[in-house]
Amino acid sequence: MTTATAVSAGPVEYVKTIGVTTNQSGRGFINPYDCAFTNDGRILVLNHADAARQALIRIGVLNWDEDYLGEFSKGTGRGEGQWTLPIGMTISADQRIHVTDEHLHRVTVFDTDGEFVRMWGEKGEGAGQLNGPAGIAVAADGTVYVAEQYNNRVQVFTAEGESVSTWGEYGDGAGQFNMPWGLTLDGAGDVYVADWRNDRVQKFTGTGQHLATYGSSGAGDGEFSRPSAVAVDSDGYIYVADWGNERIQLLDPDGNFVQLLRGQATLSKWAQDFMSVNPDEYNTRQIANLVPDLPDHLDTPYLISAQTEPYFWGPVSLRLDHEERLFVVEANRHRIQVYQRRKD
Amino acid sequence: MSNADIALMAHLMRRAGFGATRDELEQLVEQGYENVVEDLINPGDPGVMPDDVIRRYHSEMAEMRELNSAGAYWMYRMVTTRNQLEEKLALFWHGLFATGYSKLNQASALVNQINTFRRHSLGSYKTMLVELSKDPAMIIWLDNHDNHRDNINENYGRELLELFSMGVGNYTEDDIKECARAFTGWTLGNAEYMSTRASRDSIWPYSRINWHFNYRDYDHDDGEKTFLGHTGNFNGEDIVEIIVQQEATARFICTRLFQFFAADEVDEAGEAVINDMMASYFESGYEIRSIMRTMFNSDYFKSEDARFARVKGPVELVVGAVRMAGTYQEPTFGADQLARQTMYMGQGIFQPPSVEGWHEGAEWIDSGALVERVNFVGKELGDPGNPGVKAIIDRMARQGQAVLSPEEQVAACADLIGPLELSEATTTSIREFANEQGPADLREGTRTEADEQRIANLLRLLTATREYQLA
Repeated sequence: MTTATAVSAGPVEYVKTIGVTTNQSGRGFINPYDCAFTNDGRILVLNHADAARQALIRIGVLNWDEDYLGEFSKGTGRGEGQWTLPIGMTISADQRIHVTDEHLHRVTVFDTDGEFVRMWGEKGEGAGQLNGPAGIAVAADGTVYVAEQYNNRVQVFTAEGESVSTWGEYGDGAGQFNMPWGLTLDGAGDVYVADWRNDRVQKFTGTGQHLATYGSSGAGDGEFSRPSAVAVDSDGYIYVADWGNERIQLLDPDGNFVQLLRGQATLSKWAQDFMSVNPDEYNTRQIANLVPDLPDHLDTPYLISAQTEPYFWGPVSLRLDHEERLFVVEANRHRIQVYQRRKD
Repeated sequence: MSNADIALMAHLMRRAGFGATRDELEQLVEQGYENVVEDLINPGDPGVMPDDVIRRYHSEMAEMRELNSAGAYWMYRMVTTRNQLEEKLALFWHGLFATGYSKLNQASALVNQINTFRRHSLGSYKTMLVELSKDPAMIIWLDNHDNHRDNINENYGRELLELFSMGVGNYTEDDIKECARAFTGWTLGNAEYMSTRASRDSIWPYSRINWHFNYRDYDHDDGEKTFLGHTGNFNGEDIVEIIVQQEATARFICTRLFQFFAADEVDEAGEAVINDMMASYFESGYEIRSIMRTMFNSDYFKSEDARFARVKGPVELVVGAVRMAGTYQEPTFGADQLARQTMYMGQGIFQPPSVEGWHEGAEWIDSGALVERVNFVGKELGDPGNPGVKAIIDRMARQGQAVLSPEEQVAACADLIGPLELSEATTTSIREFANEQGPADLREGTRTEADEQRIANLLRLLTATREYQLA
């Protein structure tokens, strides 16, 4: 029988689960890929959708109490504000929502009412061009950082989308990348990149000077398999979405392993609503073991997560809200698990 | 390297796989026919498109919820694998143990079932049947989760004997009941919740939960059973052990393999090959690998009479064309079209028409399906921008006259896309088209897009021929 990777004790504690899957517009998530938090307490969720449901790409809006507040979308396509494969989202200090689209190779900016502001980028390798833009972060001064998975670089833009600089190239040395994905900034303005296919996280200054590398390939403590996202809290603790291992790891400010999370989702408010009106499912769910022992051939983190509903499955983004609660966005489970680090 | 060697190797690769480019054929001929057969039946690293890259790009293939995306996920593997027989056999098992999405509403269970087929494809048929009996998709498909100690459901037991091993006429109704009793308690984990969700096509609250086998000892009928003349307190494994010892089982599986890989119809010479395959089955302890070796190395299989004697199935056709065109080598937007195309042609992956699978051979071809077949394949091989088409054009420029007459173009295209043995009528009509286009100047420096398009147009036309549509 296959048993899941153990979850270690530590300061990060489970808070709750948000969301439920949906096949239509309105309340619920459909392959969420990122989230962001407005200054007025709204939670924005980027719904990537999938090939069969492109019309459902949208940003859903809710609050901490899980009240559904609406959604916005300009639809799928190449027009202003439209998306095809949106995968990264962040919000700037001046409350501008920035979304990357890996298929259209561009960044699109909206206001918090969902109105189109500007966009930039086209496929290419030159300055100002993008190839597979993925993770995105905006510094306090409005500088925009974008990880480009196919150009294997980070590109820096002004708030208006003018290219300022790039760094990185394909490779596995310091400062090199292999299909980078998530990207974040810490309080000092340093840049952390989830160097996805190199199984590591790299830290740079805001101007691209390599500062540190965390992790190596593997499934042990402090090792990663295809990390997709990274977040850094105000004390410098580093959270890594260990996508290929279907888990989250907490590192201390020096990059030392602290804690492992495998996921412990419960029914969200919206999920409870569904169960309350579907007693057949609820009653049989009550007698089910959602963390079952599995046959030996189902022995990969992916297959285990596919069968173990509380576990992370496809953790594609990590974001910290204004209370420094950690939002783990799970594309395959259409939900967000929320955790928080104890600071005692 | 003779043309005969190339033609024989092309035949083997069309049957054991999905076809090969000329460069690949030349490498294979260098290895020698029997060595290639050994490589095919002893697969190594498949070198397929990596799962992580697929799942990062295709959210739908990460979640594995949607039918056509799951089909396309498998087709990525067929298109990029080095182990062509491994995938061709998986396709064979999918047709033989036909399990459909319509009742399951769980694409991932079907993908996992194919993984099971792949793991046991060339091993013991006994192991294959035991693993098939434990496969969650099969359990739901044939209702074994409703087969209880005190209330048997015969569905799986019946089909195990009729469609998966011996065939009708080789067992009694009592054998079916005893077989069903032996498989009581063979179910899937959380069967009540999972079957409720399947019946309601529920994705709530957090998408599908994949399935796994679970044995419920308390629900298994451990009493004495008499099956095919044997008596004992049989469980499912014991029943399979008895099944695989039967000559009817050997004849069944060898005939089905022969019809899929060698010839749609079995003639007298084919019967002799099947007898040899059956001998290999018993000598090897029911090993599929040995059966395949016997078949591929038979004079019958290698004979010219066996060539182009099968109609390509839709999946074979699509995968073969894509491999030759060199497309879909990396995650591609809209890849689910691959699966949709085969469905339009009559072979929706994970959508067999019934538990009996697809009716193959000439039944693949009707007027609607033929249009779809010609359109898709023609589009793939009629685009000089596709890497494989460009490689064909470059090769023509290297190996022959740099300025090709219409007649030379037809000969070169038929050779490199097959080699195809065109009938006189086909040759005549394609030459007429080539004459209208005129010569193609493939010399470096003077070659134009129009020259390349002329070759691509001929390739497109050739895909519509009877010769190309056969394997």
